[in-house]
Amino acid sequence: MIPNDLLAMQSTKAMEYLIAVAFLLLFIPFWRFVNAKAVAERVVVSEVSRRLGRVLDWFLVPDQVYFHPGHAWARVGDGGLVTVGMDDFSQKLVGEVSAIRLPEVGARLGQGEKGWCLQSESKSIDMLSPVDGVVVAVNGQVVASPEKVNLDPYGDGWLLRVRAPRLAANLKQLLSGTLAKRWMEEVCENLRMMMDPDLGRVYQDGGLPIHGMARGLNPSRWDAVARTFFLT
Amino acid sequence: MNETVQRTVATRSWVTEELLMGLSPREYVRTLVTPWNIAAALVLLVGLPVIAYRFLYGLGAVTNLSQTNPWGLWIGLDVLCGVALAAGGYTLASSVYLFGLKEYYPLLRPAILTGFLGYFFVVVGLLVDLGQPWRIPYPVIYSYGVTSVMFLVAWHVFLYLTVQFLEFCPAILEWLGWRNIRRWVTRLTIGATVFGVILSTLHQSALGALFLMAPTRLHPLWYTPFIPIYFFISSIVAGLGMVIMESALSHKIFRDQIDPERHVELDAITLALGKAASVVLFTYLFLKLLGIADGGHWELLRTPFGHWFLVELLGFVLLPCFLFAHGVREKNVRLVRATAVLTVIGIIVNRLNVSIIAFNWDVPDRYVPSGMEVITSITIITLGILTFRWIVNRMPVLREHPEYRGVH
Repeated sequence: MIPNDLLAMQSTKAMEYLIAVAFLLLFIPFWRFVNAKAVAERVVVSEVSRRLGRVLDWFLVPDQVYFHPGHAWARVGDGGLVTVGMDDFSQKLVGEVSAIRLPEVGARLGQGEKGWCLQSESKSIDMLSPVDGVVVAVNGQVVASPEKVNLDPYGDGWLLRVRAPRLAANLKQLLSGTLAKRWMEEVCENLRMMMDPDLGRVYQDGGLPIHGMARGLNPSRWDAVARTFFLT
Repeated sequence: MNETVQRTVATRSWVTEELLMGLSPREYVRTLVTPWNIAAALVLLVGLPVIAYRFLYGLGAVTNLSQTNPWGLWIGLDVLCGVALAAGGYTLASSVYLFGLKEYYPLLRPAILTGFLGYFFVVVGLLVDLGQPWRIPYPVIYSYGVTSVMFLVAWHVFLYLTVQFLEFCPAILEWLGWRNIRRWVTRLTIGATVFGVILSTLHQSALGALFLMAPTRLHPLWYTPFIPIYFFISSIVAGLGMVIMESALSHKIFRDQIDPERHVELDAITLALGKAASVVLFTYLFLKLLGIADGGHWELLRTPFGHWFLVELLGFVLLPCFLFAHGVREKNVRLVRATAVLTVIGIIVNRLNVSIIAFNWDVPDRYVPSGMEVITSITIITLGILTFRWIVNRMPVLREHPEYRGVH
């Protein structure tokens, strides 16, 4: 039998072997193509993590306060009245606030819907209300001097008092205690992922300016960065 | 007396909180009036009477099925595509529980729910398609018929549906607040998951094996002895594509239910799933080439059916394989998501090719589904989507239940 006949008889098998070998050979460049940037990026991420350390310690997460994922807080007071404000993370993210537009007394709020509006550098950012209800009091001092929010976000910097008829259902959707701390850890992790790897070179002490972090992350579109965290 | 009153009040508040999502019945009904709900209501308004008509007057009155073409759109779309697209459940369950890839856990419950509902509505589709639907439990409890390949299919569907229900039970029990039963069921869940992975891999390939019995009816380019392997491997791609697509849609539609950190997490998971899909598609492409070589059908690629085969192979296997790889490399999550849609369409095209388009390809009496068959299929799919939404809005599927955070 001459070799050509053998090939003709076995052409199907030969083709199958060729396809199998081609698969193995092509898989190597294919795998390299898919994984091209992975190694470089892992190095960068771990480098950033090392430089920035534990970001969680920067933010206050007090007990007895319920947190909405949009970075508003709620504290239940006497007579079922709920005090509402923006959390430490949000005031540090936005930095200096030039004005706060609060709803009027008697206005209706919905959990997860627009609650109030912050203004800074001609940009305005909405924040979400942590509970449903009717506004019964507004913190006039904060409206007059918004820096109170930066000085004491969980105390004098409160924003609204709300009568919340569906409080039990609302609180189920909020986070408190260890759950809130875990959530804040994860928020910090996201923040760290968003930080530019080059920041390490800019801030040689290994940290970020805590006040107005959003501006540090993206000077021109810092309001968009803030909105991502505030879910608005 | 006092206790009865308290219990009645507790039941009423449970109904308001968990069934009506904290709204009064009137408020709840008002929230239902949305454009999507109106469209869905219209579909049901037309579709449900058609289904009733089919049960009253039989298959002949509604379908274009015949002795030559006994399987039509309901088997091709509702059953074959339904099963393939439900594969996200076993794909993710095996990743999380068998391979220990815990980072995919956030997507596991929605994937299992999709899998469970996918199979559930496959059974609904089968009930509509069977000439004597009341006999659907026969292979399980009355007349086994072990010599029929349908015996295998029936048992797979029956067992896997039960297993998926068990896998999803923790979510239902968390919703009901039954802590003790949940603890017991969770122990069963791991075993059920392992059993489910075995069952579904067998079942995906068994559906392909059905066509091994029709070597003369299926076009040679689609008919090969490898068809069970094709069904199995392509189901992995279908599962990955569905999980990517559905998680993106869910995160958009049910945004308020999802913790903010999940949004960032999802991008990383999407890229990882995209990478897996590209590798599986790459392998699948070469296996398809082996199929052509094995049958020696290269010359058939020059015929019109061959061109259509190439559209499937190049447009819905090679192209998404490259796009997934490119998207992953460039960290382009949107491209990966768009490619997932293309892949899912590709799987539907493949299953319809095998079951309808390339099936009975050379008979003069070609099957074309009737309008009522199409309406019935759309109705069943709409019912599936509505059920998915109803469950996701109430049970801890996309969000973790506050009392069970971090408990897997």
